[in-house]
Amino acid sequence: MLIKTNNPKDTVKLILFILLTVVTVAILIFLPRITVPLIISYIIFLVLTPFMQKLIKLGISRTLSALIILVGLLFFSIYPIVKIVPIISNEANNIQYYTPKIESFIKKEYYKIKSKVQEKTGFELEDSYITDGFSYVKNGMSSFLVAVPNLLSRALEWVFVIPLFVFFLLKDFGTFRKKFIGLAPNSVFEKFYIISHQFNKQLGDYIFAKFIEASILGIIITAGLFFLDVRFALIFGIIAFVTNVIPYLGPILGTVPALIFGVVEYGYGTTFGALAMLYMIANAIDMAIVFPILVSKIVDLHPVIVVGSVILGSQFMGIVGMIISIPLAAACKLIFTDVLGDLYSSNS
Amino acid sequence: MSYEKNIEDRKVDRVDISLLKFFWQINPLLKTAKNKIPKFLRNLEVFKNFSDYELWDLSKALHRRTFEKGDIIFRENDLGVGFYFIVRGNVDIVIENDHSQSGESSTELQSKVVVSLEKNDYFGELALLQERHLRNATAVAKEPCELLGIFKPDLDIIINERPVIASKLLQSISLIISNRLYSVTQEVRRLKDRVKVLEEENADKN
Repeated sequence: MLIKTNNPKDTVKLILFILLTVVTVAILIFLPRITVPLIISYIIFLVLTPFMQKLIKLGISRTLSALIILVGLLFFSIYPIVKIVPIISNEANNIQYYTPKIESFIKKEYYKIKSKVQEKTGFELEDSYITDGFSYVKNGMSSFLVAVPNLLSRALEWVFVIPLFVFFLLKDFGTFRKKFIGLAPNSVFEKFYIISHQFNKQLGDYIFAKFIEASILGIIITAGLFFLDVRFALIFGIIAFVTNVIPYLGPILGTVPALIFGVVEYGYGTTFGALAMLYMIANAIDMAIVFPILVSKIVDLHPVIVVGSVILGSQFMGIVGMIISIPLAAACKLIFTDVLGDLYSSNS
Repeated sequence: MSYEKNIEDRKVDRVDISLLKFFWQINPLLKTAKNKIPKFLRNLEVFKNFSDYELWDLSKALHRRTFEKGDIIFRENDLGVGFYFIVRGNVDIVIENDHSQSGESSTELQSKVVVSLEKNDYFGELALLQERHLRNATAVAKEPCELLGIFKPDLDIIINERPVIASKLLQSISLIISNRLYSVTQEVRRLKDRVKVLEEENADKN
């Protein structure tokens, strides 16, 4: 019996399928007003998928499960938002009064270091380092403030759009995926299906694990700061939560502002020591217990690739890029390993 | 007492939309693809332990694939993730030969048919169970055919969302595999006996 190894119709289907995928991606890149809320909704959908599966397991229909999750999410997030947002805005208002104090403290410390360096080595550090640093931070702050109205209008749009997207993703993602994958030609169907599934699973597992990890760290820091009676406990907790998304550099970025504030406000005393201990313990718990259990099993990448992908992600898509860059890199590794494995096995 | 009665009344009054949907779909006058698949699955021996409702639920996870005559469904040594049921047409399970046919173009390979499958038969069930399963043989469409496939990602989703259906499906696949294992064991035993007889005959001759 003779077997045909390539069907011309299948090749045409493959070309059309690749074209369709490329065109869809291109449309999404050129329409950031839809793409950004869509990506945020997708991340929320991935975090909520395990809850959705639990509800479906109880025999509740998909539509009702999606509705229950959405209503529950809105219900449980409204109270903390109403309660926490005024506290955060109050703390954010108060923190600006500390800015000159922090600026003068940093300048004082810098001049001390400068004179010490000059005394020991004879080399004079330029003042431009510190002035450039401050002007960079100030410019960043002012450009952020200028962009606030625009961001607020966009956030208002997102408040309505994101829950809607999340609801339909929870309800119809499976059907949509089935229809899209159904377009794949027979020759690549199985491979494409398993790779897209692994890609989705890796992305979902990573984001869910990272969300839990960042929440644990944020809660430890906030509770510890409240216990130590340090001001702006909530803001520093949120900073620790957000910066935890960035691997390796995140813990440092989350710790430095709190430590600087601790020195300025309380001096090199017991409170500062306790503050430093708290951050050390929280990060040690994160690195030694939470990260190995939750996250490291999901992505197995070299640290250089992790840092490189985070930098690339932040350059192209900001915070969202930072969150999705690592699982994307892991998924790319998976695809390349598969494709290269295929190529080498067919060559041999 | 009245409270309990109230709850009982409410239970009676409650309309189960998904059950209504199911009854509408199994309506014999309705000829849609949605009720065609459960009806097809009902005829398969593998799904005899499934209720109609479970088959209807399972059918939502299946993928319909069509192949033309001579199309390869999957190739020997390919990574496999799909278990297929033949809805229409015939499928040949073949073992490919290493060498290309002389004089023919390099895109055609010589092969030997191991078994020919027809409507209501199934193949590729090992792919659902094994991690990184490599296909043992090539499946080729003998004529234009329509297949229903269930793939590993679908099974993962069913395990998480519909554990009863997943366990019944795995039970059915285990049954297929255990039956095959039994026949393989019988074959091995028969061959061993044959080898023993041949060895004895050889010893007698010497």
